Amino acid sequence: MISASAPASAADSGVVEAYGHRPLLFLAGFALFWLVISGFFALVAGIQLHAPAFAAGCSVMTHGRVVALAETAFVYGWLGGIGLALTLWILARLGGEPLRAANWIVAGAAFWNLGVALGLVGIAAGEATAIPLLELPLPVQPLMLVAYGAMAVAGVLAWTGRRRDVMFASHWYAVAALFLFPWLFSIAQVMLLWFPVRGTLQALVAGWYGQGLWTLWLAPLALTAAYYVVPKASGKVLPSYDFASLGFWVLLFVGAWTGGRHLIGGPVPAWIATIAIVAAATLLFHYAIVWVNLRHAHGAGVPLKFLGFGLSAYVLGGVLDALTAIRGVAEVTQFTYFSEAQHQLAFYGAISMMLVGAFYYALPRLTGRPWAWAGLVRAHLILTGIGVVALVIGLGGAGLVQGTDLNNPAVSFAEIAAHTEGWLLLATAANVILLLGNVLFLINFFKSALCPFYAAAVKSYRGEAALEAAR
Amino acid sequence: MTPNDPTFQPAAQTDEELLNAHEALLAKQPDDRAHYKLMPLALLFFFSGLILFAATYLNRYSGHFDKTIYDENALPTDHNVEVKIDPVVFGKQLFASSGACVTCHQASGQGVPGTYPPLAGSEWVNGPDERVISIVLYGLQGTVHVTSKSFNAAVMPSFGPSGFNWSDEKIADVLTYVRQEWGNKASAVTADQVAAVRAKDGAHTAWTEPDLLQIK
Repeated sequence: MISASAPASAADSGVVEAYGHRPLLFLAGFALFWLVISGFFALVAGIQLHAPAFAAGCSVMTHGRVVALAETAFVYGWLGGIGLALTLWILARLGGEPLRAANWIVAGAAFWNLGVALGLVGIAAGEATAIPLLELPLPVQPLMLVAYGAMAVAGVLAWTGRRRDVMFASHWYAVAALFLFPWLFSIAQVMLLWFPVRGTLQALVAGWYGQGLWTLWLAPLALTAAYYVVPKASGKVLPSYDFASLGFWVLLFVGAWTGGRHLIGGPVPAWIATIAIVAAATLLFHYAIVWVNLRHAHGAGVPLKFLGFGLSAYVLGGVLDALTAIRGVAEVTQFTYFSEAQHQLAFYGAISMMLVGAFYYALPRLTGRPWAWAGLVRAHLILTGIGVVALVIGLGGAGLVQGTDLNNPAVSFAEIAAHTEGWLLLATAANVILLLGNVLFLINFFKSALCPFYAAAVKSYRGEAALEAAR
Repeated sequence: MTPNDPTFQPAAQTDEELLNAHEALLAKQPDDRAHYKLMPLALLFFFSGLILFAATYLNRYSGHFDKTIYDENALPTDHNVEVKIDPVVFGKQLFASSGACVTCHQASGQGVPGTYPPLAGSEWVNGPDERVISIVLYGLQGTVHVTSKSFNAAVMPSFGPSGFNWSDEKIADVLTYVRQEWGNKASAVTADQVAAVRAKDGAHTAWTEPDLLQIK
């Protein structure tokens, strides 16, 4: 048990019960479930890239729908759910008070996950929108917005009601994520779906939303967790913490301006691409500061291994964004599998890995007992580590081959497909490994988080029964 | 339970210690006995370099923030520039456009024997400018003799005011194209010539062969 482990953590876990762990476990459990679901669809989508006839007879399994299903389950189901659960927990810990408005979290989490489920059914039925990262069918979106708001209430209360008037880096990123997602999500809904803007502006708003979702929501969620767990686990003060706020503001101000990088080489006025290139370069400063601040993430222990991996992927992704934004490079990489590799590096390698690391740290403090199986934790670490590297290398290699071939008019489409096949097979193998790792993760979670409740329920039932018998 | 137990990561500091340690770092004032820490020099140079790059690049490749400039190397131009169009190229597009000349006269200019007269080698196409302009502007009905064959089955529609309502430029360009294609060797037709015919005949109805032959 935790109280027997270390003096510091004994003091640390005394308030476990008070933080209202059940709503957060409820939210996190669904998130893990969506992670496995999205892994399944990602695998199907990956197979279809080198075997186009795979599941082609089934309308639900057509490539466009499967890609949208995988992406939606991953971003809104998994990253959003786990990110929010960790952010609420960290805000409560730093506030030093029990989590308030827990009912709001339960209601919000129920409707958020209902929204994800309905959204996936809608997408499978062919009702997806045509906007990347916003494929959720239109009627579901307001529900998701309200559900998110309900959960965010608890976060805002934990922040405003903190015991000491101190702001730590995790506070900045957490509050930014809580407030900026509703803003991004509602504006994108109105401008793209309810009253769609027309022409070039539509592509621009879609690019802004896709990039904003990453820089203004997912990255802050992951950094909230990283800035909290790294010093907690390493015991060290963050190096050059004085400049952490500069890194934060650079991300907030410059981040969304990089949205236009998705349109470099596309039919937009030149200045939009130019601004995006400049923003992508300036954002390197944010990545440099995060790297300097969190360099102790590369330490011992499973949470830090995940966080260190995620941090490396985060910074590498930022450097790649800046490099591929350069027009000469974008000429080859843009609109190929290479963009997909960058996407996976950012969403899977960086955000997901950091959140998993923080969750490995958090769960024993939510349940009051360690993870059930050490072997599954190690297996998950190894499998996801290999899986993400293989996925990014596979897609990246395919993208470079594809981009070079596309620029050569002598090469036909059929030849390009043949040239990329080996790389795409590697990516599919990676998807298999990742799915396997995440299934183990889910099993371990069920055993660690739900069995204690079950055991306690059985125990109390038997206790009552024994009492009855004694009378 | 060892420190490297994968099932549980012990906390190395309490939340209170974490907040205090980092609060202390930010609380330092610049004049607090020189305890103020400068940004590491490498980071400062890096940031300055990025800003320099950003400003230079933005200035050089902004396209003056003009919504009509798609090439980052281009400079803004006067938007009322007249664009020179090759009448043969544009005429060919018009000829082949849906529902226009190509439908009856065919891409080969040979028409359909017995139904639609040919344009290739036609004495009408290669004849006086005003005649051929009149045919396209107002149309032609009744029997017509082309390359000593008689055609009576079809009607030539008007591309002028009572039909497709093409502009003078369009009619001039399509005629210029037809009059130099398939071995035809007649002079180009200008928009001014078409405008003159239009002004002279106003709302004329479709022409017939005998009336057309009056035009010299």
